[in-house]
Amino acid sequence: MNLLARNAPKESDRELLAAVASGNRRALEELYLAYHRRLARFLSRFTPAYENVEEIINDTFMVVWQSAKDFRNASQVSTWVIGIAYRTALKSIRRQKNHAGAANLDDCPEQTFDPRSDDEMHDWLKQGLNRLPTEQRLTLELAYHMGHSVEEIAVITDCPVGTVKARMFHAREKLRQYLPGLGGSSAPAERA
Amino acid sequence: MSTQDSSQHAPQHKEVVMLIPWYVNDTLSDRDRSKVEGHLAACAACRDELALERRIHEGMNVDGPVEYMPAASLNRLRDMLDGKSAAGEQNAVEQPKPLGRPRRWQWLAAASFAGAAAAAGLWVAGHGLPGSRDLAAPVFYTVTNPATHPREEVVRAVFSPSITLVELQALLDEAQLRIVSGPSEAGVYSLAARSDLPVSTSLALLRRHASVRFAEGTEQAAEPGHAP
Repeated sequence: MNLLARNAPKESDRELLAAVASGNRRALEELYLAYHRRLARFLSRFTPAYENVEEIINDTFMVVWQSAKDFRNASQVSTWVIGIAYRTALKSIRRQKNHAGAANLDDCPEQTFDPRSDDEMHDWLKQGLNRLPTEQRLTLELAYHMGHSVEEIAVITDCPVGTVKARMFHAREKLRQYLPGLGGSSAPAERA
Repeated sequence: MSTQDSSQHAPQHKEVVMLIPWYVNDTLSDRDRSKVEGHLAACAACRDELALERRIHEGMNVDGPVEYMPAASLNRLRDMLDGKSAAGEQNAVEQPKPLGRPRRWQWLAAASFAGAAAAAGLWVAGHGLPGSRDLAAPVFYTVTNPATHPREEVVRAVFSPSITLVELQALLDEAQLRIVSGPSEAGVYSLAARSDLPVSTSLALLRRHASVRFAEGTEQAAEPGHAP
């Protein structure tokens, strides 16, 4: 199991968040330090500029500070915090794309590569991931980089489980379209 | 698996295909895991799919460790909270400001300002501001503010806001420097030496990089322990 998603002690997180809800800033700082590395690694996957990563993390913890009293123990603290970071990141990415003009897989010619080469695989993945629609990219990152279950991703993204599965499926399908050499151009479910 | 077998198991096949990513990251329930494993034993297409997804999963987790500096960003969060508290005390009825956006522009402006601030700051350090004791707290910061510089600092630098974490780390590795504090309000990082590499060499490496807006050695860099 991916340690990124499993390394936060759940009970101490709940205690910290309860303290934050009562206005304890030291508890907020402890929570911040506990999550900073994990969030920074997640966010830097698709927001490489450091000041953007930091801005999203700090905005996230401002929301945590303001909303801790609204946490109802319906999910893990980690899922709740990452959900806030997800929504903050989504807004930031959309704003960046509005400025820059987003590229997507439909704009890109198919690539040829040798799937046995790790370097080429890595380069291809970076290019392919950068061209996925934002929600699909984030879903893939939450599953494969952060190690979250489909149910956790549903909570983080505030979507039904079926939507999470569909986003993941379409992300995989688009990666294939981008790189036929990896697994053919047909959709995964159609290849049986 | 034959075509006939596939059509007979099509509903389960589609369900399993959807579950494969979470089989790969090992977060499926026992029930779903058994279902996937049972299907995999009979379906070559899903085994291929699993192999491919494992490569993608592996490929997304090969990045080397990147150093993060939570202390500096935590300081900025404290500033944000203090600002919010001050605003709240000033006007308890007023809603909190919308989160977020000003910081980036503050940073950009600060980074652009840093070169000028450096020159101005150097002059101020040498001469002092006439009548400065009578002035209110300054609304700007300079790279020479003595209270902000740690003892081990040998270089002060301002980086382009567009520099990525990976680029920054690679640049610091090459120049054998590490961040000890920053960025300040003016966007200035304090850097310490990580090896015996002369500070002048580290500075030269920094200055030739397109994402370095400003880099200067400090007094400590000229001390006997540090080759200038």
